Amino acid sequence: MLLTCKTPLNRFCSLLLTAVATLSLVSSGNLLADEKVEFFESKIRPALIEHCYRCHSQEYSEAKGGLTVDTRNGIRRGGDSGPAVVPGKTDESLLVEAINYESFEMPPKSKLPPETIAHFEKWIAMGAPDPRDETVDPIVARKAAEIDWEEARQHWSFQSPQQTTVPDETENRIDYFVDKRLAEEDIQPNRPADDKTLLRRLYFDLIGLPPTIEESQEFFELAKVDRNQALRTTVNKLLNSPRFGEHWATLWLDISRYAEDQAHIVGNNKALFFPNAYRYRDWVIQAFNLDLPYDQFIKLQLAADLLTPEDVSDDAALGFIGLGPKYYRRSSPEVMADEWEDRVDVVSRGLLGLTVACARCHDHKFDPIPTEDYYALAGVFASTEMWNRPIDEAAEVKKDGHAEDPEQALHIIRDKNVHDLNVLIRGDINTKGEIVPRRYLQVLSEGTPQPYTQGSGRLELADQIASLDNPLTARVIVNRIWAAYFGAPLVSTPSNFGHLGTSPSHPQLLDDLAFRFMENGWSLKWLHNEIVTSNAYQRSSDLNEKAMAADEANINLWRMNRQRMTVEQWRDAVLSATGQLESAIGGPSMEPDSLEELRRTVYSVRSRFELNPLLAMFDFPDPNAHSARRVETTTPLQKLFVLNSPFMVAQADKFQQRILNSAETEEEQIDLAYQILFHRKPEPDEKDLAQKFLATADWTQFAQVLLASNEFLIID
Amino acid sequence: MFDSFTQPVSRREMLKKSATGFGSVGLIGALQQSGSLGTASAGTVSQLDVLPKAKRVIFLFMNGAPSHVDTFDPKPALEKHAGQQPSGKLYKPSKGSGFMPSPFKFAAHGKNGVVMSELFPHMAQCADDLCVIRSMHTDVPNHEPGLLMMHCGNLQPIRPCLGSWMSYGLGSENQNLPSFVALCPGRPVVGPQLWSSSFLPGEHQGVAVDTNNLDVEKLIANIQHPSLTRKEQRTQLDLLLELNRRHAQQRQNEAVLNEHIQAMELAYQMQSEASQAFDISLESEETRRMYGETPFGQSCLLARRLCERGVRFTQVYYVTKNGKQPWDTHTRNNQKHRELCADSDKATAALLADLKVRGLLEDTLVVWTGEFGRTPYSQMDKKEDLEKAGRDHHHTAFTTLLAGGGVKGGFTYGKTDEVGMDAVENRVHVHDLHATILHLLGLDHEKLTYRYSGRDFRLTDVHGSVVNDIIA
Repeated sequence: MLLTCKTPLNRFCSLLLTAVATLSLVSSGNLLADEKVEFFESKIRPALIEHCYRCHSQEYSEAKGGLTVDTRNGIRRGGDSGPAVVPGKTDESLLVEAINYESFEMPPKSKLPPETIAHFEKWIAMGAPDPRDETVDPIVARKAAEIDWEEARQHWSFQSPQQTTVPDETENRIDYFVDKRLAEEDIQPNRPADDKTLLRRLYFDLIGLPPTIEESQEFFELAKVDRNQALRTTVNKLLNSPRFGEHWATLWLDISRYAEDQAHIVGNNKALFFPNAYRYRDWVIQAFNLDLPYDQFIKLQLAADLLTPEDVSDDAALGFIGLGPKYYRRSSPEVMADEWEDRVDVVSRGLLGLTVACARCHDHKFDPIPTEDYYALAGVFASTEMWNRPIDEAAEVKKDGHAEDPEQALHIIRDKNVHDLNVLIRGDINTKGEIVPRRYLQVLSEGTPQPYTQGSGRLELADQIASLDNPLTARVIVNRIWAAYFGAPLVSTPSNFGHLGTSPSHPQLLDDLAFRFMENGWSLKWLHNEIVTSNAYQRSSDLNEKAMAADEANINLWRMNRQRMTVEQWRDAVLSATGQLESAIGGPSMEPDSLEELRRTVYSVRSRFELNPLLAMFDFPDPNAHSARRVETTTPLQKLFVLNSPFMVAQADKFQQRILNSAETEEEQIDLAYQILFHRKPEPDEKDLAQKFLATADWTQFAQVLLASNEFLIID
Repeated sequence: MFDSFTQPVSRREMLKKSATGFGSVGLIGALQQSGSLGTASAGTVSQLDVLPKAKRVIFLFMNGAPSHVDTFDPKPALEKHAGQQPSGKLYKPSKGSGFMPSPFKFAAHGKNGVVMSELFPHMAQCADDLCVIRSMHTDVPNHEPGLLMMHCGNLQPIRPCLGSWMSYGLGSENQNLPSFVALCPGRPVVGPQLWSSSFLPGEHQGVAVDTNNLDVEKLIANIQHPSLTRKEQRTQLDLLLELNRRHAQQRQNEAVLNEHIQAMELAYQMQSEASQAFDISLESEETRRMYGETPFGQSCLLARRLCERGVRFTQVYYVTKNGKQPWDTHTRNNQKHRELCADSDKATAALLADLKVRGLLEDTLVVWTGEFGRTPYSQMDKKEDLEKAGRDHHHTAFTTLLAGGGVKGGFTYGKTDEVGMDAVENRVHVHDLHATILHLLGLDHEKLTYRYSGRDFRLTDVHGSVVNDIIA
């Protein structure tokens, strides 16, 4: 049963009054007019909850004056003084007197706003429609026992992924599923992309950088002989390039809302900042380059310190939690409760694709996640503290074990003050419900989950998330990586695999990939290889009328989706075209629009306080919270940057220098520019256009045109 | 020029991607254009629009929080209770010497007798346009959460702000200018979170303009090419458009490619339009003097230029070079209010008068407020040094002014108690103010939602009621 949510602090809360009203109606069996119920749900119930329940509900042992207003009968029966509500009769309803301060003065703290009083009067006059039955408002105390767990676990994403038996002659299992669907839908897939397109796609997708002229030539020659071989050789090379980890780390940094500071700063106090955050970022890059199995990757990020207490070399991984937001006024309990929510959110949406944080103030409205489950997980993080661990022996250490200076610290977490939490009723820090032991989510457990016994329980939680038995973990990461290649996920809500999320477009394919991903030791490089060697990945992005008519949105993958470069790919490609990109890996972060900074864009400062304008302009996610997926916008401000920014003007100049230094005649120069940027030679008429332009303008202007062109920005 | 292929976009996708098309027409426009209005399933956006009274907002923000009892909420009883300590569980004994009467004289102005202190001689002339809400209240008496509440409707920095919601809902009135601009010399406390679009598409973020230097080239990032003339750039752009067209033709003119072409052309147009819009040197000496030759005065003038050209939401921060929250008068409250009000009064009154003369006031809503109020009792470092006495943060009562945009002029709404401690009658929470502002703009605050992380979000969360009493 669903209710409005009355939660001043919960940021993941929503109001779906229509749904609420409809459902109330069904469950109570009353045939009330929709609008009347909606009036109750939108105006009356929230007001009762906010202003009256604290003293007049069954939840409180002492229902003051014998009055409870959390059920229909309760409010009509009234308390010691008589019926609070007499349907249709405002004059006889004590409630009306009380809220008007005529006899009783309720609520005692202050009179209700006049419109609320008017709402109550109107509601009673219309017959006090009340869909509530005798059960206590579930928002107050729905017990886990009320969920039919067997049924709840039937949701597709709570079932273990299954491998499908495919015919023996199947060459590529991804294609088996995709082609089967296309045949069923009678859609003719596109032909493979041409060599140039495939080459560019592979390089940008696998390492986020364009191929050099030499690399292009090598690929074209190989492909002439055996395209499949050329593909495999190139994929192998790219998977083993140190650039691979740099490119794919960005995906994880979005998921983990990686940042190096806080959203507010009081004066110049940077005590809450993370000057050495980059060590986490570098750890992620290295983990991807080393193909650290994904289960291990998760476990280290949640519990490296507990997993290998003797060996601190992976402790930077704990930045996953340790670099989370620290809010203003950390000493107050309600602010800490907000911080727990951040931790629960990044773990549940990021790793499990579940919106557990929705259950902070009330049982999840759509998924089988009772409030107790939220507090069971929040308790794990409430039993830790953000720790500025001294980075080495030279660092000055405070009494409490923190480094004196954040500059001398690794920003991680450690167990501290291990304890279970009370459920906070409606998320209110002052209204404590029962204590819930720290433990895993019920819907993902067989039977009742066992309380955690080792410290905070982080390691036990990590083991349960990164487990072969977990139905979500593999599917969620497979879906995210798939989305990066195809520009569209199989499950279009990558961080919500619950009931409000969408079902997979290709359920068997997702299952089969997830299953085999685990079978292959959670190897991400295995997964990358599996995807890019499929025919589905190699198709051209051309539109064709017939397929468009059948499947405009390309749900069935008859084509590759054309994609705009991310800001990382774009800036790196520009610097690489001008020949300036540096190959140094790791180290402190930099501002990407500075002309002195020539490292890859993944090394940009990620700020919660003020995101670098270049990043912000090009759809970089706000690191104040987990980002499920980047949004892609096309705005004139982006184009102003491309036309006029000192960065672009300088790059155009660098590019023309490179061209003029490397080629003699104008024709050769134009050829070279096209090869560097587009991996092809210009068509004769393109050359004409260029020469005409160059007759009146200089090379820098021409260079800027090419760098600003759609052909450069968009990956076919 | 482009053939019949159109990029397939779902409604959700369209709202999210919102290239030049959606960005400029807003949620309502996009839904109407796409024919999705009325058939919308998620949320109930089909009834988003109520009849709008205002098209634009200029939000004047007094950073640090002005004292209500020294400005628009006279409390003669403070004389009687002077020196007494406040009571009530919310209030600890003050750090000062108890209740402190305002030294300023109050008088009624205009036809309806709107009362204000002597610190506002210019605003007094506009009294008939002012709607004074004396019964404002918010949740927390600290700047950061207070600012976030007033801007984003939430105490933690993770929500889109009012201006972004408005831009998202209504789009731009002028496709050559951003729909939401934040004017501030340097940065206010909290900073860019205050004009953040958060999870709304990035184009709805406020374009922050540092007004420390009002030279137009300095005001907007990348508005001009450092060396090319306009003619040279046009030639350059023509080549670029030609190459892009050929590129698109070879790719069946897929719609997304066309979006990039349009955005590029728009950027070029914006260069001249924005250069004009942001250039206050084009105003007469007299006009510039009327607003006051201070950063705040000149920013108000700039706000009028932007509003006149269709910028939906212009936020002007009263911040000075040396103070991120000048109105935070913990010491020398009286003296500081004298100085700050002199500046703010002149600029605000000039803005109202100027808008009125131009016929813009009727559909432009002007808001004047701080993040909360100040204590009716004093705060002092040294005992009994009245000269240095300040007032502390106070969130249970403060005053917000509205003008134009469909609110009642010459109107005073709500009451605080005898000494200005608590709003007691017709209380208006910040959420209610937000709901009312959106309402005036034709947006139903309960229906202006955005789905993010599986949930529908609103500016007002689960709160807020439109204050119908103040609407004309």
